Amino acid sequence: MKMQTRSGVPLQHTYLAPDGAGERPGEFPFTRGRLANAHAHTAWIQRELSGEGNGQRSNAQIRYLLEHGQTGIDVIGDAPTQSLLDPDHPLAREAVGTQGVSLCRKQDFLDLFEGVPFDRVSISSSAPAFLALSGLVLAAREAKFPLERLRGSILHGPLYTEDCSYAWHLPVDFRVRLALDCMEFCSRHMPKFHAYVEDTYFFSESGLTPVEEMALGFVQLRHLVRKLIARGVAVDTFAPRIALLVNCGMDFFEEIAKIRATRRLYAKMMREEFGATNPRSISAAITSHTSGLSLTAQQPVNNIVRGSIQALALVLAGVQALEISAFDEAYRTPSKDAHIVGLRTQQILDLEAGAAKVTDPLGGSYFVEALTDELERRIRARIDEIEAIDDPEALSARGFFRDVFHQSMETAQLAVEKGDVALIGVNAHTLAEEDDRLLRDVATAKIETWHSHTKEISQFKRQREPAPVRAALERVATAVTGSENLVPRVVEALDASATIGEIATTMRHALGMPPDIFDQAPPGDPIGARHVA
Amino acid sequence: MSRELVALAIMGIDQHENGAIAVARVLREAQMKVAYLGKFHTPDSVAEKAISEGADVVGISCHSWEYMRLVPQLVEKLKERGADIPVIIGGSVITPEDGEKMREAGVAAVFTSASDSEGLIECVRALSAAREKRRSVDS
Repeated sequence: MKMQTRSGVPLQHTYLAPDGAGERPGEFPFTRGRLANAHAHTAWIQRELSGEGNGQRSNAQIRYLLEHGQTGIDVIGDAPTQSLLDPDHPLAREAVGTQGVSLCRKQDFLDLFEGVPFDRVSISSSAPAFLALSGLVLAAREAKFPLERLRGSILHGPLYTEDCSYAWHLPVDFRVRLALDCMEFCSRHMPKFHAYVEDTYFFSESGLTPVEEMALGFVQLRHLVRKLIARGVAVDTFAPRIALLVNCGMDFFEEIAKIRATRRLYAKMMREEFGATNPRSISAAITSHTSGLSLTAQQPVNNIVRGSIQALALVLAGVQALEISAFDEAYRTPSKDAHIVGLRTQQILDLEAGAAKVTDPLGGSYFVEALTDELERRIRARIDEIEAIDDPEALSARGFFRDVFHQSMETAQLAVEKGDVALIGVNAHTLAEEDDRLLRDVATAKIETWHSHTKEISQFKRQREPAPVRAALERVATAVTGSENLVPRVVEALDASATIGEIATTMRHALGMPPDIFDQAPPGDPIGARHVA
Repeated sequence: MSRELVALAIMGIDQHENGAIAVARVLREAQMKVAYLGKFHTPDSVAEKAISEGADVVGISCHSWEYMRLVPQLVEKLKERGADIPVIIGGSVITPEDGEKMREAGVAAVFTSASDSEGLIECVRALSAAREKRRSVDS
């Protein structure tokens, strides 16, 4: 990209204060960016969330997005997958393939990643981390692609998943262990893979403020880092592959300041508290989604504008990767049309507006710098406040965070209702329902439930060889009660044709929990995963 | 008449709770009682809980298309158990066309993102009062 303005004014990648003093991008504490010339050669990773139906259908989506210039992949599981349930579970059947892709066994992952160029694109998953990691390992093996070269990421939220996202129905200490096992596994076998992405996006969609979002994110991240160090894993072996996935709502400047303050807090924490020395351990990699919560069912076309503004904030803040929540978000996971709009928005910001040519273009703004300092102070204070109350796992177990999320859901809703925050089309400048037609049909088009996939899974369960499945699940159970890393055991179980529902059931059983948390009759399961262990 | 009691639930594995929690607050602020049943319900479990709690109205929060299949089943389950408890549903995923289908399936009222709190409160009061009247006539 030409480093000059339309009038021919030459541009530098970085601008400093006139006297050359002050912080530079790529230098501690990285307020101004992770790298000195972040986008000198390539732009941020541009991707859109995808996933619907079965593995084959989602593979077609991925190919479509890559053909249209997407530079990364982010796949979300359907609600059963996110909840560690098989499609044939009685509570799951009406939700198969509608809000993401159904992934319960090895073949689903092979179908999903068939022909995907692992050497060119990074593979991110918004599915349960240990499942997504295990499935990706199997798909890479099938493609004969070396694990040590795999790039991509998995998201974690062990303290918060049960309270404001898809519950796994596994206890908090075990969820923490699964996250640590993923990190340790990758630090040994997948050095280029972001094994721990602190996902502040999903839980802040409860309506948290940017300060609360990052404070809770840091509380969780700090807990995990402390625990992994306590396991004897050296901080510089895993910290280079930690990243943060942050939200971006409509408060333009505060969101930018939040990200700048986050990089600063992260750098100080890693260097001063955890003793990291590798620059990659100290400079935060930040990926981002624009806020789905900020989008409205009314006048869906306005959501395209919201996404563009939020994406601009994120690019100006210097994120490494970006996804725009699509205009049909209030109704569904993105359609083909919504995908292309999101992708084109990013391409316009990049290639037409040149928004990333200069690193940290708002650095030095009186306003943005003051707001960055204030956000840093407030986030830090809130982290200290929460950590002073109790151990984060204990707080999670006794519902402290659940109360925080519920409170924020109420507060956010009340603010809209009372008109304290303007929401165009909802509490300001509304349209009569009959006039609100633009893009409405596109936004509300449904994805049919994939009952055919449920049938296929039932058949698959009946036809597989039961002995190896049982043996592999027994090894999962043994690993759960012992201390060995669970990731290889989950990989092995999936490879032996066990499903995620059976693996999760086996885990719960080994932990002394009831076999079915929903008190439902078990699905047609000849293996009897509940009887293993 | 006594304070209206609304049983609020989310069915299937829909786990979007924002809407249900907001509605619970609106109803409580209108001096109604709310039995918040939470997530992971089946038509059977909602019917059972609504009856045992003595609910005047059942409210289902819908943020995934599962409701299209599960809500009509809930209406049937209540009928099977001989419970005269009206079912209302709400959620941004409900389109006007689908809302109409739900009414045909026996749902008493449908609320979408275009609805306001006053409408909801009035509706619950009217449904409870009508139910009270039917009961006094029966007895």
